[in-house]
Amino acid sequence: MSQSETVIEIRNLSKVYRDFWGRPKVRALNALSLDIKKGEVFGLLGPNGSGKTTTLKLLLGLLFPTEGEVKILGKSAADVSKNERIGYLPEESYLYRFLNAYETLDFYGRLFDMTAAQRKERSEKLLDLVKLAPQSRRRQLKEYSKGMTRRIGVAQALINDPDLVMLDEPTSGLDPLGNRDMKDLILDLKAQGKTVLMCSHLLADVQDVCDRIAILYGGELKVMGRVDELLKAQDETQIRSSKLSEAAEKEIQEVLQRHGATNVKVDQPTASLEDLFLKTVQESRERPGHRNVTDNQSVS
Amino acid sequence: MYFDPNEYLLNPIISVLNWVVVVGCLTFVVLFVSMVNLIATRGASGVGVFFDELGGMVTDLFQLSPRRIWALTRLTYTEAIRRKALAVFVVFGLLFMFAGWFMGDTKEIKPDQVKVYISFVLTTISWLTLPVVLILCCFGIPEDIRLRSIHTVVTKPARRVEIVLGRMIGIWLIGCLVLAVMAIVGHFWIVRQIPAESQSLLTCRVPVYGTRIDFVDREGNAAKSGVNVGDIWVFRSYIEGATKARAQWTFRNVGESLLDSDGNLNFENSFSAFRSYKGDMTRPLFYDIRLINPEKNLAYTTDPQPVNEFRHKLDTIPRKVTIDGTQYDILKDFVTDRKELHVEVSCIDREQYIGMARSDLFIRMPDRQFWMGYWKAILGIALTLLLITMIGVSASTMVKGPIAAVLTFVIYFLSLKDNHQFMDQLVFGQVQGGGFLESVYRLVMHMGPSQELPANPAFVVVKFFDWVLNNFLWLCRHVIPYSQYFNMPEFVSNGFDVPWDTSILPSLLVTSAFIIPCVLMGYFALRIRELESK
Amino acid sequence: MTNMTSQQRKLVYLIGIVVLLIPIIWLSLPSDGKDAPGGVLSQLRSKYELGEADLGDVDASSAAMNFALLGMRGMAVNVLWKDLDQQKDTKRWAEMQATTESIVRLQPHFERVWDFNGWNLAYNTSAEWDAVPDRYYWVKQGAKFLKRGVERNKRSTELYYRTGKVVQHKIGYADEATDYRKFFLSDPDPAFKGGPDPVINPDGKDNFLVAREWFEAGCARELVRAQHILDRSLFRSTPARCLFDYAQALQKEGKFGEETRAAWDHARKDWTEVYGHETFHALIGPEESDIMLEMTDEEIKQQAGTPDDALRVRRAVDAYQKMTNYRYWRTRAFAEAEPEMAEAHRRLFDAKQAYKAQEFENARTAAYEGMEGFDKILKRPEYASLTDEDVLCEECLLGWKIWDDIYQVSGDKIPEEFPLKWLVQMKNENQMIMLNVNKQFKRLFLETK
Ligand SMILES: Nc1ncnc2c1ncn2[C@@H]1O[C@H](COP(=O)(O)OP(=O)(O)O)[C@@H](O)[C@H]1O
Ligand SMILES: [Mg+2]
Repeated sequence: MSQSETVIEIRNLSKVYRDFWGRPKVRALNALSLDIKKGEVFGLLGPNGSGKTTTLKLLLGLLFPTEGEVKILGKSAADVSKNERIGYLPEESYLYRFLNAYETLDFYGRLFDMTAAQRKERSEKLLDLVKLAPQSRRRQLKEYSKGMTRRIGVAQALINDPDLVMLDEPTSGLDPLGNRDMKDLILDLKAQGKTVLMCSHLLADVQDVCDRIAILYGGELKVMGRVDELLKAQDETQIRSSKLSEAAEKEIQEVLQRHGATNVKVDQPTASLEDLFLKTVQESRERPGHRNVTDNQSVS
Repeated sequence: MYFDPNEYLLNPIISVLNWVVVVGCLTFVVLFVSMVNLIATRGASGVGVFFDELGGMVTDLFQLSPRRIWALTRLTYTEAIRRKALAVFVVFGLLFMFAGWFMGDTKEIKPDQVKVYISFVLTTISWLTLPVVLILCCFGIPEDIRLRSIHTVVTKPARRVEIVLGRMIGIWLIGCLVLAVMAIVGHFWIVRQIPAESQSLLTCRVPVYGTRIDFVDREGNAAKSGVNVGDIWVFRSYIEGATKARAQWTFRNVGESLLDSDGNLNFENSFSAFRSYKGDMTRPLFYDIRLINPEKNLAYTTDPQPVNEFRHKLDTIPRKVTIDGTQYDILKDFVTDRKELHVEVSCIDREQYIGMARSDLFIRMPDRQFWMGYWKAILGIALTLLLITMIGVSASTMVKGPIAAVLTFVIYFLSLKDNHQFMDQLVFGQVQGGGFLESVYRLVMHMGPSQELPANPAFVVVKFFDWVLNNFLWLCRHVIPYSQYFNMPEFVSNGFDVPWDTSILPSLLVTSAFIIPCVLMGYFALRIRELESK
Repeated sequence: MTNMTSQQRKLVYLIGIVVLLIPIIWLSLPSDGKDAPGGVLSQLRSKYELGEADLGDVDASSAAMNFALLGMRGMAVNVLWKDLDQQKDTKRWAEMQATTESIVRLQPHFERVWDFNGWNLAYNTSAEWDAVPDRYYWVKQGAKFLKRGVERNKRSTELYYRTGKVVQHKIGYADEATDYRKFFLSDPDPAFKGGPDPVINPDGKDNFLVAREWFEAGCARELVRAQHILDRSLFRSTPARCLFDYAQALQKEGKFGEETRAAWDHARKDWTEVYGHETFHALIGPEESDIMLEMTDEEIKQQAGTPDDALRVRRAVDAYQKMTNYRYWRTRAFAEAEPEMAEAHRRLFDAKQAYKAQEFENARTAAYEGMEGFDKILKRPEYASLTDEDVLCEECLLGWKIWDDIYQVSGDKIPEEFPLKWLVQMKNENQMIMLNVNKQFKRLFLETK
């Protein structure tokens, strides 16, 4: 990753939800600071209620921060013109249930001031991209299954070919196939040089596609860093390969021992992000306020 | 028959000034309250946020896109249709199927029966379109927020003011669609309901009213009004027969255009008769009309004409009249240099009285087609719907749907003629029995409105509270539209054309006066709120 | 309550609703014919004949409207009444009628509503119009409205009476009565082609005879359901009184032939033989006793046990006769059977006609002869009581007024003595009667050609 421009800049962001009378109810986010660079896929990770969605909404100007500041594409969150280059997939696809797929995309296309021809072309392309079955495209969204709604949700997020895509729990409600498609799509976006900010509580998603992650717990940033670095145990080396024959394994073990390696184990890899996640949550419960940030550039 | 058209025009300068003051005050109050609110929630940085927001708002206003507004309009429209707003036609259909129930006899059609038909149609239409529009405009945005579908819109380049505008236009279009369909059906219904031989009762008369009426008493002295014959209703004032008593009208700008195609001047009246004794009941009371030109000392008197009470009576005066063998031309010889025509009416029968008001005598110009007036009345309803839409949408950006609906309905209700007048009376202290608390006290204690309150210092507090409320009412009175201007249906059901100057123009002005404040208020409210339902 | 799950809470609500519904359902169980009498409400309903169909003609529209208002009827009615009042004040008659229509649809069994609005149309609205045919139209509207009220409320005694009253009193005794009575037979509305309006006069009868039918129906109803308008004895006299009205009206219109005589005869019979034999319950001392207006001493004795009681019964009968003017009308009916009486009426009528035609000499003679005729009859002891009542006296005094006026105008000396001088002197103190006579004379004067 090159030292390129910062797309999202969050400084000391806090959000307190208030009740009707203005009394503080929940502190959903506490002094969050982070930067996201152009072209990276950033994952916000955390258990339910940890403040991921809140962060996204603050970035988009749907909520107003209690403290702190946000710069997104160099503009303030309240500035609507930033939306020209942003695509947003809400947590649940909050779309207009009385429209069908074409009408939905046409509507959002109009909001970007796209011409009829542009809208038509773009809609077809996106619907193919998200693999929405052609026969269901003319049905009203209220008849859609969760997975189908999710797909049309992604399509509307990409209608403007955005530079920055924010995905809130992109894979929730998708079957394993859909899950795969979604990850491919994100990688594809990355390949096109787009910046992606996604949040999820599903570790597998994040692990596969994200360059960097941050783990939130109780509205606080607990861990942040490059996925590979975070998972790299400093005093261990892991060798992975396609399945080897018995003889080959033996040979390797000998080679390693010759180089003085101890505790040599040869077996299948485990999902170690899960370990990290659980460890972080566990630690946060035991030692509130502790932070493990490997990514030295982003903390001020 | 009774009909009292508006007497006054909106004075353009005063109205605009008034508008500026009211809108200015409102803007100030709104801005002030939100600034205080921001400071309260965000401390000192609130001030910065406030001015940033203000700047953002202003720049947004210059970046409106018709295509986006149209997209939101279409969305609103589609939503309404797909959510079955058009089910109102079922109610409409039912009402018209059973309209006979409310009408009584349909066999005998009298002129004022026609009036009942027309006002039935127009009232039904306005009371059916009203709830449709009210519900759509008050529940649209809150529902959008509750379902969070608005999140996908505001995270697009759509400005929040565009959302407000799109909603307003979309709902108004729906309202107009419903209105148009109902109006067409209603039109056919009226025409079908009235038998072929009575079709001529569907009139669209074009009256030119006198600008003033003056009275002369029985001794020949100028009087403020005629005689009151003991009616509760003081609309008409009576002149005594066979005395010098008479009523004098002044018509302005009299020229060729007021004459009919044959060059005659047509006066129509709806005088009422009052007998101090019955006498020969088979003989009607008589009046005559005199045209006078005080400058030339010229007068022309018609033959005695019978009073045709509660109906229209048409008196035609030929352009060329003969007085003592000399021929005169009405326009040339009777219209003064200031283009005024003076007309006097007196009663002929001794000890009998004829009652009249300013609008009881007018020059009747050639009639228009009935449908012209009818559709102008529909325009009046459309403007009312627009007004309600604007108020409703902007209310719904601040409060939840049901509250917005109640609020909007109350505003509409208060804007109705009688209620607005009552509000005026309250504000100007013309209502007996005191303000809110005092009236409640009187009600509970069974005290009449004119009874003295007991000497108790508590009433100082009560009166002060009422005074505060009354001042609030004063503010409301200025903000709440006066729907008297939107009374086009009243003209049409009375068989008149809708006048441009005293009805259409003022209602257009009132409506447009609401556009800017409503849109801005809705925009502002939508912008300063977090789009989470509470 | 607070630590229940939402499901438990819903269950509690459900049980509550059911518990509350049970008594309602039980109370309002519909009845199906004879076997099952139904719940308390439907039993009461049939006991008091309050079922929609028992009350009168069923009107689907009003039932539907009441249903559609979902209990908001009171509010709707309130608004309508307010409108009605305003429309009345501002003389918007057609709208007023439309509002009335809506009101009776919402309150179809509220008899006062029919009564009030019918009266309003017949008496108030009609008086606001100037032309007599217009006035008649509204009187008719009132009568028709009341008639519809009767059809919707067959159990009502009072509405029959009210309808009869408009037909009898408003049409028969208004200032415009002469015209109204003509219009009743030949409607001014060209739609009826010179015939009567079939809704209020299907058989083309005299208004008093039509009114009599309404009153008779009212009296028939009265046996089942009491009325609260008049004393019972007066209420039951209404059909018979219409016959007197009828006979008098014929005379007034200058009809003195067999028709008029038969009318008086019919009236007399109805008065003395039918009405006179109606039974009323009167308080005789501490007890009640059945009495009749036409009761011989013999009958009284039979009715009462003791002579003391007989005296009391006699007094009660007297009181009843006084209240209903029974004796006067009986005497009058007998007097009217005398040919001299008919002749005297005719001469006074002639006098009026002659006066109108400005044939003053003829008028004076006719008036004098009429006065002579009445002088003779009224001086007869059996008819002396006729001077107690105004109607006949007014007729006599009007005759005298004509006679007197012609002398005054011509400048001739009025004779010192003249027939009915005693009556003139007697009634001179009675302002009411003199006022009426003068009014009638003024109208006569205005009608001179
Ligand atoms: N509108 C709201 N009002 C009050 N509290 C809220 C609101 N939205 C979210 N919260 C609270 O804020 C916290 C963070 O929520 P959220 O950002 O949605 O979490 P996540 O997306 O990580 O699951 C939670 O405790 C949640 O209950
Ligand atoms: Mg979330």
